[in-house]
Amino acid sequence: MPDEAALRNPGRGLGWRVRAAVAGRVVLATFGAYGVAALSTAFLSLVLPMVRSEAVATATLLSFAIMVGAVVWVFAARTLARAALGLAVPAALLAGGLWLALALVDTAPPA
Amino acid sequence: MTPSSVLLNLALSFAGLSALCLAMDRHHRAIFHGSPSRKRARALRWTGWCGIAVSFAAAILTADWNFGPVQWLGSLTGAALVLVGLVSYRPGWVRPAAILALPLAAVAAFLA
Amino acid sequence: MRRGFRQSMAWLHTWSGLVTGWVMFCVFVTGTATYYRTDISLWMRPELRAAAVAPGVAAERGAAYLKVHAPKAVSWFVSLPQEDRPLIGVYWLDSFEAPIRQASLDAETGQPTTARATQGGDFLYRFHYELQMMPMLGRWIVGASALVLLVALVSGIVTHRRIFADFFTFRRDRSAQRGWLDAHNVTGVLALPFHLMITYTGIVTLAFTLMPWGIASAYRGDEMRFYVEAGQTPAWRAAAGRPAEALPLAPLVDRARAEVSEPLEMVIVNNPGDAASTVVAVFEEPKGLAHRHPQVAFEAVSGEVVARLGTLKPAAHAFTSFLGLHEAHFAGPALRGLFFLCGLMGSATIATGLVLWSVARAPKPGLAPGFGLRLVRGLNLGTVLGLPIGIAAFFLANRLLPVALEARAAWEGGAFFAAWGLAALVGFARPHGRTWREMGTVAGLLFLSLPLVGALTTDRGLDFVWFDLAMVAIAAGLGSGAWTLSRYEDVRRTRVARTAQTLARA
Repeated sequence: MPDEAALRNPGRGLGWRVRAAVAGRVVLATFGAYGVAALSTAFLSLVLPMVRSEAVATATLLSFAIMVGAVVWVFAARTLARAALGLAVPAALLAGGLWLALALVDTAPPA
Repeated sequence: MTPSSVLLNLALSFAGLSALCLAMDRHHRAIFHGSPSRKRARALRWTGWCGIAVSFAAAILTADWNFGPVQWLGSLTGAALVLVGLVSYRPGWVRPAAILALPLAAVAAFLA
Repeated sequence: MRRGFRQSMAWLHTWSGLVTGWVMFCVFVTGTATYYRTDISLWMRPELRAAAVAPGVAAERGAAYLKVHAPKAVSWFVSLPQEDRPLIGVYWLDSFEAPIRQASLDAETGQPTTARATQGGDFLYRFHYELQMMPMLGRWIVGASALVLLVALVSGIVTHRRIFADFFTFRRDRSAQRGWLDAHNVTGVLALPFHLMITYTGIVTLAFTLMPWGIASAYRGDEMRFYVEAGQTPAWRAAAGRPAEALPLAPLVDRARAEVSEPLEMVIVNNPGDAASTVVAVFEEPKGLAHRHPQVAFEAVSGEVVARLGTLKPAAHAFTSFLGLHEAHFAGPALRGLFFLCGLMGSATIATGLVLWSVARAPKPGLAPGFGLRLVRGLNLGTVLGLPIGIAAFFLANRLLPVALEARAAWEGGAFFAAWGLAALVGFARPHGRTWREMGTVAGLLFLSLPLVGALTTDRGLDFVWFDLAMVAIAAGLGSGAWTLSRYEDVRRTRVARTAQTLARA
């Protein structure tokens, strides 16, 4: 993160690089963290070993903690690239798992 | 979850938190005009944690496991707020208030 | 991270707290008021007295009104008179897409009530979670702000390195910034369990709006089927498409009441008048944390029981317990008082945090504040004092507007927003310390006038003495807050004067 002194006087001593890095983290924290939380909810709702409604309730309850953890990670990571990588890897794994689960788990309504 | 059981919790939490507060050097000096001895600080700390533990037990006994923890946490917050008010505005009242909390707790326990 | 974890979390706390602070302050204040929603509603309908009507009879009165006014609805809802809400509330859906419509009926006659038209405490309640906007937009704004607040809470805990050492510390005698910081820390730390609980559970109340992806994947987006499988609502029975005469409601309601010990809260009629119509008796929550209503569903024509809903599976129980904790319907008067206190402390944490941001960035004497600082100062004033002024105006409008006024309930809401908007404009025009003092005094006087205006315009004697006392307490809080602020200002001014003298002498 840029240092506090620079941020207190925007326009002075705050290069576009720093601004872009902050903006990048905000965007990543908003959409990236939500994306990871959404994927984990969808995935866990299908694969948690419990009745379906219970899995959905559990996954949804957990999702917000996952999202906050992801946001903290985005702002704590040393560089923007690391932050992005730290979200992209779990997101890719979850997306793959979700794709498999959607193919394997029967979600059709009862006849 | 009667008012008297909440009062019991508040009184016990207040007494416990006061002891914990007085075990801290800064507050002890503000109230007794001197640092606490090591032994005294440890005794106060023990008393404080015991008070909070007893408060938890009282919450479980009077409001069961369903509401007890909620009531216990709420009473800790309420008691701590009163305590901070006294420490900042009427430091001289902290000790008498903490001592007075004990008979109050006894009365509330009798009613609860 | 160029600097440590703690510093980056401090940065995150500062900025996430700032962007979410204004919305969350409003949400906390109105939510805290909502702990006393029924008391506010009773105060706002002074014409009503407690009515003793058998639940079955009341249900039939509500259904009789609906039969005339909403014969083609897909669902009727009749909420029964309770001690704290002596009215029959009727609600209906003309179709699943249509907005819900409603009327309030006199419990004794079943005719539309002659009590003044008002939204009562529901106004603040609705504001609390959808800001009186279009429902979905408002809920998303509140939900997203609450998520940001959760981030601010977590990063704030990490940032506050002296959490235990400063636990009881409020240094009111030091600099203004120190005082604000201590006030922020004390109100934040002492009620931290509440803050975390209320923010997380608040997000959970909006969970399926914010995070519909579990239902999307496991139920292909069919939310209804989720609730049915989770045991929270009886299965929907499609209309048969041919009319049939339903059994009278009262005997069905009495049969349901014989099964469940809680008071009956609402009767729902699905597909009224149809051969496949169902009647659902919904009871109040049993003693327990979970927000779940026992229900008994009947076939309306044959009277056969089609569903009984009671106990829940563990995760659903946890989920509903989160909702129950948030609403605290289980709390008796003393515990409710503690919840209220915690809510006030949450509001104070947010308000002091917002003020702290601007105090910490005050320009050196002689320098003009920048645009960002002026904006924040204006928004702080307009929110922290503007909202209480709006609420006071809302209550005053309830007492002062003519009872027969057309669209009266809307005018009350109008008074709320008009007074708030006016206060916010003043705040933007003169975002100074003095304005805080003056507006705080105005807000205090408005609340102080409420018991007086209430006594002059109603004849309820001491029925509302608790409400009046609360208003006086709020007035005292706002007044003394304004007074404290002015003292800070004076201290600073004398200090500046003294420094100037010293400099002049040197």
